[in-house]
Amino acid sequence: MSDINSTNPMSLGRGICIITGASKGFGRVIAHQVSRSLEPRSVLLLVARSGTLLQEMKEELQSFIEGRQLVLHCITVDLSTKEGVDETVRVARQEAVDEIEHVLLINNAASLGNISKFETFTNPDEVNSYLSLNVSSPLALTAGILQLCPCRPGLRWSVVNLSSTLALQALPSWVLYCTAKAARNMMFSVLAKEQQNVKVLSYSPGPMDTDMQKEILRVTQVNHNPLPCHESAAKLMKLLLDDDFPSGAHLDFFDV
Amino acid sequence: MSSSQRADLGRALCIITGASRGFGRTVAREMSRLVKPGSAMVLTARSGEDLRALQAELAESEAGRAGLKVQCVPADLAQMEGLLSVVSEAEAAFSEHIDHVILVNNAASLGDVSRFTRTFTEMAEVDSYLSLNVSSCLCLTARILQALPSRPGLQRSIINITSLCALQPFCSWALYCTGKAAREMMFRVLAAEEPDLRVLSYSPGPLDTEMQAVARSSTADPDLRKTFSDMFAAGQLLTCEASCAKLMKLLLEDSFTSGAHIDVFGPDHCVP
Repeated sequence: MSDINSTNPMSLGRGICIITGASKGFGRVIAHQVSRSLEPRSVLLLVARSGTLLQEMKEELQSFIEGRQLVLHCITVDLSTKEGVDETVRVARQEAVDEIEHVLLINNAASLGNISKFETFTNPDEVNSYLSLNVSSPLALTAGILQLCPCRPGLRWSVVNLSSTLALQALPSWVLYCTAKAARNMMFSVLAKEQQNVKVLSYSPGPMDTDMQKEILRVTQVNHNPLPCHESAAKLMKLLLDDDFPSGAHLDFFDV
Repeated sequence: MSSSQRADLGRALCIITGASRGFGRTVAREMSRLVKPGSAMVLTARSGEDLRALQAELAESEAGRAGLKVQCVPADLAQMEGLLSVVSEAEAAFSEHIDHVILVNNAASLGDVSRFTRTFTEMAEVDSYLSLNVSSCLCLTARILQALPSRPGLQRSIINITSLCALQPFCSWALYCTGKAAREMMFRVLAAEEPDLRVLSYSPGPLDTEMQAVARSSTADPDLRKTFSDMFAAGQLLTCEASCAKLMKLLLEDSFTSGAHIDVFGPDHCVP
């Protein structure tokens, strides 16, 4: 039986929420916003490479977490490695107790890759390494998380793929990024089609005021008029709370 | 409105991957009939034995007897060594007289279609799949473009053998769909970057090949598996020759929009 709080439309329920790339940029901001929508005794797992930045976040969130009776774990790992993915799944498994109503995975960690003409990608190691972090890792992590607990009525599963307009639109010099985002979009579409009980959302957040965007500006000299992360995060939150998007949809900040 | 069509593919250097069997082998055969004397082919696959058999067959053919040079390069394209050997053979086969370079990125693998997305917990398996089906294709194409650069009088055509799976998700086909979607985007970026290149993603349809046999026996999703079995039973699989004929026609007409995805059956096709 679901508890009265989980029928509150402004709540994600008593959940376990895993956010990758949580120490900076969009990941950091969405972590803050998600925490406000989790019911008491929910678990928040923040995954990133930087222990220092995660520790800062822990301190930022500390009193809020305590007040709301949330459990927070920071997992300092490199998700481009098997060990990183396995450790994340291990901690999640440990925390996913029977009373959990919602498993929410936000695949946000990503890298820009070299922005350069197609012809320059002559080194398979560079391409393999890029695809490993940006495609293989979210697939393996998502698969691992989906196996956390057996499906049961009342247990909600949500998987978010941080996408881009470049998952759909080809842009010169952006072959690595476009290719990986297109791959992820398809991968998550297959998942959505296979598993009716998992709500899958590919969310394209728009250009935001992050280090990634600063790098884009530096390399391409193109200013995309970035939004503040919190505006885009708020839209994602609304999508997750309203929960009426079709599973597998690719939704863009500017269209919702 | 009649479409004008060239009579041949010119004095061409054709580089075909996965050329030892299935669709790739058929492309090699059909292309050999459409290139002018003085042309060359570089055929690559993992199986040296099958490549040599094809090479012998082509040597005996009309094109072979008219002087078509065929080089075999047994190689694993996911390894640097394999990649380098194909490119170096292509460079060796090139000459000033060549007016058309055609790269057919056909080599691919199905991936394990007997499992669902939730079971792909091992990064190494996914890495390995993407390495062959995406990275090697990107790097081979990049190296060929660098090794055989643009010059007046030289047409360069890059073909990506794709699938409906590049555009639509299919249950239990996570790796294949992901790899094809990745390649599709990759070649769209290339087409957008280089307007002088002729880039085509050609979807050959359900072919009567070993890959299709694995698809119909191993696909985990029961509806999809039944679709394949039914097509096979009803004799609805295409021969490689029939599908290849359409690809050749597209290349001879040469009027496709660079970067386009063209399916053997046209725009409303819905079975991979």
